[in-house]
Amino acid sequence: MRVARRLSVNTRRSVKFLPALLLAVGLVLFGTAAAQEHDPNAVINLATNADPTLNPWAPGAVIESNLINTILFEQLTRYSPEDLSPSPALAESWEASEDALAWTFHLRDDVLWSDGEPFNAEDVAFTFNDVVKDPDLGAQSANQFAAVDHVEVIDDYTVRFVLNTPFSALPYYLASYAGLLPEHVLSQVENPLTDTTFNKQSPVSTGPYKVAEFVPGSHVRLVPNENFYGAEPKLAGIVIRVIPDTNTQVAQLLAGQLDLVGRLNPNALAGVERNPELEVLSQSQNIFYFVALNFDDERFQDVHVRQALLTAIDRQALIDALIQGYGTVATGPIAPLLAALHNDDVEQHAYDPERAIELMAEAGWTPGPDGILQKDGESFVIDMPTASYAELTPASLLIQQFWADIGVQAEIETIEWNAYIQRVILERDYEASVAWWSMPPTPDVTPYFACSAAHTGNNIPNYCSEELDDLLAAGRRALSAEDQQAAYFELQEFLAIELPYLYLWHPNIISVVRDNIEGMPAINAATAFQHAEEWYVAP
Amino acid sequence: MTGYVANRLAQGILVLFLISLVTFSLINFAPGGPSSLVSMESTAEQREARLRQYGLDQPAPVRYLRWLAGAVRGDLGDSINQGLPVERLLVQRMTVTLQLAGYAMLLTAVFGILFGVLGALHHNRWPDHIVSVVTTLGMSVPNFWLGIVAIIVFAVTLGWLPAAGNATLGGGFDLSDRLRHAVLPAGVLAFSLMPNVVRVTRSALLEVLASDFVRTARAKGLPQRGIVWKHTLRNALVPVISILGLITTVLLSGSVVIESVFGWPGLGRLAIDAASGRDYPVILGVTVMVGALTVIVNLVVDLLYAVADPRIRYG
Repeated sequence: MRVARRLSVNTRRSVKFLPALLLAVGLVLFGTAAAQEHDPNAVINLATNADPTLNPWAPGAVIESNLINTILFEQLTRYSPEDLSPSPALAESWEASEDALAWTFHLRDDVLWSDGEPFNAEDVAFTFNDVVKDPDLGAQSANQFAAVDHVEVIDDYTVRFVLNTPFSALPYYLASYAGLLPEHVLSQVENPLTDTTFNKQSPVSTGPYKVAEFVPGSHVRLVPNENFYGAEPKLAGIVIRVIPDTNTQVAQLLAGQLDLVGRLNPNALAGVERNPELEVLSQSQNIFYFVALNFDDERFQDVHVRQALLTAIDRQALIDALIQGYGTVATGPIAPLLAALHNDDVEQHAYDPERAIELMAEAGWTPGPDGILQKDGESFVIDMPTASYAELTPASLLIQQFWADIGVQAEIETIEWNAYIQRVILERDYEASVAWWSMPPTPDVTPYFACSAAHTGNNIPNYCSEELDDLLAAGRRALSAEDQQAAYFELQEFLAIELPYLYLWHPNIISVVRDNIEGMPAINAATAFQHAEEWYVAP
Repeated sequence: MTGYVANRLAQGILVLFLISLVTFSLINFAPGGPSSLVSMESTAEQREARLRQYGLDQPAPVRYLRWLAGAVRGDLGDSINQGLPVERLLVQRMTVTLQLAGYAMLLTAVFGILFGVLGALHHNRWPDHIVSVVTTLGMSVPNFWLGIVAIIVFAVTLGWLPAAGNATLGGGFDLSDRLRHAVLPAGVLAFSLMPNVVRVTRSALLEVLASDFVRTARAKGLPQRGIVWKHTLRNALVPVISILGLITTVLLSGSVVIESVFGWPGLGRLAIDAASGRDYPVILGVTVMVGALTVIVNLVVDLLYAVADPRIRYG
């Protein structure tokens, strides 16, 4: 029964052709499986929650597009499956100048685009100079490359990234959704980020699979790219299905119509864990959830208040209640995933409501007649908008309870996601709010903490200190492993005391994979998708 | 007759214009902005660049007039978040919605009228009670729940039908494959829409069955079957046509819930995605198109009254 079902899945596309069917039956019956290590007819089905945009730099190409773009558009570097350090992809090797103000990348010379044109240094220069760094285009993650001034072509297969400040994390960022675009195609169009023939139909790419068909709202079908420079891909195809509803994704997994679902809510796992054909992967990511306290509000400029508000929260209780324990308490922005650079030995602010009340008293906040803390006759009331999105609302409600225990009254207002981003993230019209940052696996957290990002960039709390800016710059200057460790250990100690954000937890990302799919690096989804040419289905 | 139709169509165009004006104003008052601009990661410079690209830096009246000028020429603009022309998205999604609507409509009408007749003929006896239990369930069970349960039972446990999608990938057009994919979503939709038809048919038929001419027909010895299908049903049809007309508009605007649960890329999902991502041109396009369909369906329903009941004349 099980063999028959798998056979019908794997040969679904060719089942009309009798010879293929006979061959497949023959293989099963006469047991030649040992001679053949993968099923060359296998097609695997993945899910995404909305129509993807097949251009890694297109405005708005985010979670629904990231993984498929990772398969299609190769980058200069990719994550090592062992420790997420940058390892060769389209660049074979790289080195920094001594002042860390320039990085030279040596490119592979055997790479062809999926249309047969050769890949070379011009493509790298075009991607960065004419797309990412063009302020009129508004490329998606352009702010991560703020330190890059321009890219110089040294020869056909050598480029130099010229920086305006030292940026030791550049090779990490180049591995994070930084796919390269074909100069010979996109220099011909009006806007290389919004060309619908490319983004929505038939992009030209260098990855192991290329787009064969894009049916909006339904699916994108990928087939092996015959021009791929590496080992021949081992699947007949990959289908990315657009399924917005999580319950439907789970039902399809159980029905055998999907083989892999990433980023599942832990609360949706019930039927999946009992299914012997499905494997649940719980992977750590460099993501931290936080409470942002708006530093434009004088009350939060007092470090005692920030420490008190964090000490009042039982963060393990949040993890257990909201994400079924799939996460770890955050002591700073840098996750334990970055083993060499994560500093455990910092101020913890463990749950202790008594201590929180003492800290508040040190800051001059004492209980008033109604039990709410007061200072100069004013009650401690916090305006705390939240969004009906993911765990944000229940997290805010639990924090409201914890704060109520120490006499702080949070007034929660739940608004729709898009309106929330407009109000809290863009206009900074809030006093406290729960949100999260998802970062590349690098310890360089400059975009989220630097003064230059307050009020305008990703520094949501608008925290600004010269000392922190210096620590961040020191990290960006550090090139050797020892220097980086020293710089980032010191940074984490500072961040744990100062609390620019109140760190809550690092979530694990839950993926479910059918157990006959092999060759996927298990460390995280981005790495697995950067190695798509290694995927295969056991026969 | 022709004059009547022309007059109704002219009114329809005015209605569409007003719909577009109201929709445009509402979406501009709504907080937030297109999700390709308003995202966690985007910085102020990126947003400004994108606002300029999409022409969103222009004042609202200018944008509306530009849209209107394009719309009368059949150009509904480009989707902000997807980049594709709105007309192309509408046609693509409408094709899918039409398939589902067609199957669901067929099931709703056939079973709705059948059960309605059954209930009326066996008024207050057990077939009537069974029909009323089924219709009460159909009205009260939420269809997202029913959809997921149907997937679990028929696709996961029994493995009889596909869990989602509107066709198997890779193959060409295959009618039986299309039908297999439509059974669950159309069935669930029909189950929740059918009760309206059942109730209207049953009460209309009961009323006609109690009238004098039926008694006369019975008295002169006509067989029961002939009385029901030939004489009474046609007389009871006018309210049934209006309820079917209403259901048609509901189905044509796309069932958001069913399309999401069963992964059908139809109009309803397009509308929801556009609304939550503030994709202004798509929201306008969908609203105006659904408005146009409603105008047309209402007109057709009114014309069908005259076919069912010769006493009704338009002139």
